[in-house]
Amino acid sequence: MHIMEGFLPSPWWEIWFLVSLPFIVIGLYQLNKLVQEKREALPLLAVAGAFVFVLSSLKLPSFNGSCSHPTGTGLGGVLFGPCIAAVLGLIVLIFQAVFLAHGGLTTLGANVFSMGIAGPAVAYLIYKAGTRAGANTYATVFVAAALADLFTYVVTSVQLALAFPGTAGFLGAFSAFAAIFAVTQVPLAIVEGAVIMLVFKYIVQLKPEILTRLDLLSESTVQKLREAAA
Amino acid sequence: MYEVLEDFAQQNDLRETSPGLKLFIGVSSILLCVSSPGPVAPLLVAATMSAAVLALAKIPARFYARLLLVPVSFAVMSIAVVLFVTGSGAVLLEVPGLPLAITAGGANLALLLLARVFGGMCSLYFIALTTPMTEIFDTLRKLRVPAVFIDLSMLTYRFIFILIEEADQIYRSQVMRLGYGRFRESVRSFGMLAGALFIRTWESGEGLMLAMDARCYDGRLGIPSDSRPVSALALAAALLYLSAVFGVSLSTGGLVLV
Repeated sequence: MHIMEGFLPSPWWEIWFLVSLPFIVIGLYQLNKLVQEKREALPLLAVAGAFVFVLSSLKLPSFNGSCSHPTGTGLGGVLFGPCIAAVLGLIVLIFQAVFLAHGGLTTLGANVFSMGIAGPAVAYLIYKAGTRAGANTYATVFVAAALADLFTYVVTSVQLALAFPGTAGFLGAFSAFAAIFAVTQVPLAIVEGAVIMLVFKYIVQLKPEILTRLDLLSESTVQKLREAAA
Repeated sequence: MYEVLEDFAQQNDLRETSPGLKLFIGVSSILLCVSSPGPVAPLLVAATMSAAVLALAKIPARFYARLLLVPVSFAVMSIAVVLFVTGSGAVLLEVPGLPLAITAGGANLALLLLARVFGGMCSLYFIALTTPMTEIFDTLRKLRVPAVFIDLSMLTYRFIFILIEEADQIYRSQVMRLGYGRFRESVRSFGMLAGALFIRTWESGEGLMLAMDARCYDGRLGIPSDSRPVSALALAAALLYLSAVFGVSLSTGGLVLV
């Protein structure tokens, strides 16, 4: 969820920039190392960034006819880990702000934190925990993507409630923002989870070497998944 | 939509103005909007930026009006919450049967937010409609943003257009085969679209890698930049404009630093 330009008042937009900064710096550092070690990483990361941009500008099918957009954050987090996903998120958000006026420049810090850091981090942690526990890969991806989507909206609600606590206090304001943004998002988060799960399934069936090269799945797991599908 | 915005950025009447100056004006106006304590200065920014886009850059008015409608839904939802949550001052309106009321304090804050968002959006569109992305990269490089970040952004930017076209083609052929007829089908089709897109994307990324290797890619993209000097007159006019807005912001609500 993009917070619009001008919406966050003065101390808060600076604070969210400061909160996001360390993740971006670590991400850039990792990126620099990765590009020096493996030159092919740069074009592949670029297409992944473009994919997230296009995915988040497509309409997701939804129950009630209203349109909503997938966040795509879950996939980025699972594939590249939270810090590099933060850099990709920053790039995508700058593009959305500068050539769609979607989101904004002063609210960039807050948006990067909710969509580029918090969401991917949740997806990454759930995916790691799921694979370690030996859970079904598709179920893990589904849960990771759905919760990443939902968590993004919860973080946005927290950001808005901190900036505008009103007389109801932080908790009152949070429940009001969460009721509007996060609760309405639940069915969409489920759809996004299902969509990302299908994406994962197609990749396993058609081009599993992408996943093995990123060390996400071992050769043996891929083999098992493909046999199960066949 | 994306292509159209970028087309205008390439062909508008402010195209030859220095990109640094345009970015400076846009970003400073946004900062003035956000820090203004009263709604007058942001509204002034909105009016002047729209005037600049319409009269100086010669963007068609109907297209610009359609763009301004895009972010309305988020603004309405968030401002409604602020309106009801903030309660101070006289009660203006009560919702019967619910513990909800609009007060003078809430209404003032909502108006201020609306003005700031509006001013900010107009400034963003000023940048988006007058400055092509490639020139923004160039300006970023002059500001010493890390090279790996700019390279990644440029490649991402290049691929966005290719992918949008492919996504559109896949979507059309799915619609023609009734892929979005029922809810179950639409989820399945959408997953298929995203999956196919991801794999194709990845393959074109590998293709790009080969093409770049064949042209002696060594981890850095070297792109020559052209510099257009900022005329003293334009700079003076920009500074005059910004200080006028700042003056209005000061005189309509006092200085708020934090």
